[in-house]
Amino acid sequence: MNKLLRRDFLKGMATIPFLGYFGFAFKDNITKELLSKKSKDYRETLKIGQLEAPDEKLLPPTGIDGKCIRVGLIGNGWRGERLLQSLGYVHPDFVKENTVNGSYNEKLRDFLTQEDLNVHITGICDVFSIHTQRGVEISANDFHPGGRKTGQKPAKVYASYRDMVTSDEIDAIIIATPDHTHVPMAVAAAKAGKHVYLEKPMAHSIEEAVELKNTIKATGVVFQLGHENRQQMSYKVARELYLKGVMGEVTMVQTYTNRNTRFGAWIRDDAFDHLQGNQNNIDWKEFLGNAPWHEFDLKRFFSWQRYSDYGTSVTGNDFSHTYDCINQVLSLGIPESVVALGGQHYYKTHGDMPDVLNAVFHYPERGLTMTYDCSLKNGIYRPSHILGSEASMDIDRAILLKKDDNSVRYKNTEIKTSDPLFYYKPNSGVDAVSSATARNYFNSGYGPTFIDGKVIDVTFLHIKEWIDAIRGQGKTSCNIDAGFEEAVTFNLANLAYVHKKPVRWDAKNEKAII
Amino acid sequence: MKKTQNIQKTTGQKLPSFGGGGGGSYSSGQIFALTSLRVLIGWHFLYEGLVKLYTPGWTAKEYLLGSVGPFSPLFKSIAKTESVLNVVDTLNEWGLVLIGLGLFLGLMSKPVKILGMLLLSLYYLAYPPFAGLGINVHVEGSYWIVNKNLIEMAALFVLYLFPSSQITGIDRFLIRNNDTPHKKAE
Repeated sequence: MNKLLRRDFLKGMATIPFLGYFGFAFKDNITKELLSKKSKDYRETLKIGQLEAPDEKLLPPTGIDGKCIRVGLIGNGWRGERLLQSLGYVHPDFVKENTVNGSYNEKLRDFLTQEDLNVHITGICDVFSIHTQRGVEISANDFHPGGRKTGQKPAKVYASYRDMVTSDEIDAIIIATPDHTHVPMAVAAAKAGKHVYLEKPMAHSIEEAVELKNTIKATGVVFQLGHENRQQMSYKVARELYLKGVMGEVTMVQTYTNRNTRFGAWIRDDAFDHLQGNQNNIDWKEFLGNAPWHEFDLKRFFSWQRYSDYGTSVTGNDFSHTYDCINQVLSLGIPESVVALGGQHYYKTHGDMPDVLNAVFHYPERGLTMTYDCSLKNGIYRPSHILGSEASMDIDRAILLKKDDNSVRYKNTEIKTSDPLFYYKPNSGVDAVSSATARNYFNSGYGPTFIDGKVIDVTFLHIKEWIDAIRGQGKTSCNIDAGFEEAVTFNLANLAYVHKKPVRWDAKNEKAII
Repeated sequence: MKKTQNIQKTTGQKLPSFGGGGGGSYSSGQIFALTSLRVLIGWHFLYEGLVKLYTPGWTAKEYLLGSVGPFSPLFKSIAKTESVLNVVDTLNEWGLVLIGLGLFLGLMSKPVKILGMLLLSLYYLAYPPFAGLGINVHVEGSYWIVNKNLIEMAALFVLYLFPSSQITGIDRFLIRNNDTPHKKAE
């Protein structure tokens, strides 16, 4: 009996040794695991106080009580339509595409739950009549966030932006047109007292950038440049980290463009609805604007980014984005000198834009250089790198911070240099049972972000900031000064590329010295 | 080894009866397999719970806010109310730990398995791997309808129907004194 009882006892306790091992070893393992997780208390690791940026609150809606703002759109291409969506306007086709078996899908539900900015689209202007027509249809589609009905008439069509800027039916103007028309349009709008949301890049040349800066400052209209990364939480957190000294001295910044498709190389004659374009539905003269005369050419019209007459090269197309992200974090401003080398080696059928390019921007006062590497024949993904004396940062939609091998600040921090010191990604939590720590992170940062407990598209936030500022609430974050720094910086690189010479910036006279 | 088998033959390991069904015996291999599965799942729960307890300021807030699918409004509303969130966080952390311990030790095995399935179903519903909900950045690997949460849930269901705690667990001492132990355990 005793024997039986003993066996009985042993059986009942069969799993205890495993629990014993677990209890003995887990503490050590858990410590290691927590060290590798972002949930480890970063304040201790980074030797800083509580981060404030992630606690930022959104401005309360200004639309409901505020006066309705009447907006005119110049340039209703794919980007123009996207901006209209942020304003609470979509095409009936969009509603149809996103309705499955009578119910709205997530995309449409997101649209309907977005904040109502209380704007009316009262004017549309485009040189491609198919886009003009779509813009009118969008303005007349009485389907808005929150179920608001405006009973609004279709927007008025303006044949030229010159007519739109002087209209008394419009308070504010959004410009989403080819680069060479940005400044003439924005200057005309500002001089007519209209607030301006201008798509990036700001200006086709340095002279134009100076002109726009002076005009905006003189007129006092609310100006926002379309670098929506200004709303991305990762860049706000990165800025705070930098200012709190976690990187030490920043000695180098590396930025990249890598693409490997014709579309990615901005050859877009056959993209979107472009095959429908012809001499009868395109106002070619209006498109050319101040650009040198050229015979009608569909390639030039639809792939304008590749022609220096209208576009601003890979630097204006893409580097301007990355530059503004970096400028947001480090407040770099305009470099003292720039060199750039490269050429057009692969896509020779369209324009004069280089497809392989390297540029170096020197900031002697900051003790650093920034590099830009671009290949349109290689699609590797690389986030921007900020290299500091204490730590290195990979930055895009997420932040990955690694300590330097010879760091003084983190000398006693028990983290391998190959492991992250700090990792931040908006709206990612420590997972429950289902997963291991995922270290992969979202690219770019131009999609959704996480603020005030919500996942929100950054373009919407950027537009909202502009609309709120027009109503006197808050300020635009990509203002004319930030825009000026962007425009001058990439235009210096373009000058260096074209002249095959180092180019210097004369800050006093606001001129490039070639 | 041989001795153990003999004892098993004489003592007999009663299978629990369900829905009035008959009894039966586990072979030693079956006991080994069922006990192993129970311990492995217990280990997983316990460790997940302890990691959360040991993480300073751990909260499921962002996890809940990022939830997708038909139940996401419910999960999001939980995350938005501080007091509710605190309760949910505590229940989650301690739930995982206690379920883990229960499975590990074979203690209170039945309610523990039911609670385990309930927790797993909540994790499953917060991020259901349904087509069209977009890529879930919280999870490694590729899943469609079936993911590891669902499989772990199914494994717990098997353990619920084929318990081993009355043989290789503390439940053995809690339930054994009764003449018809397993009937009562139901």
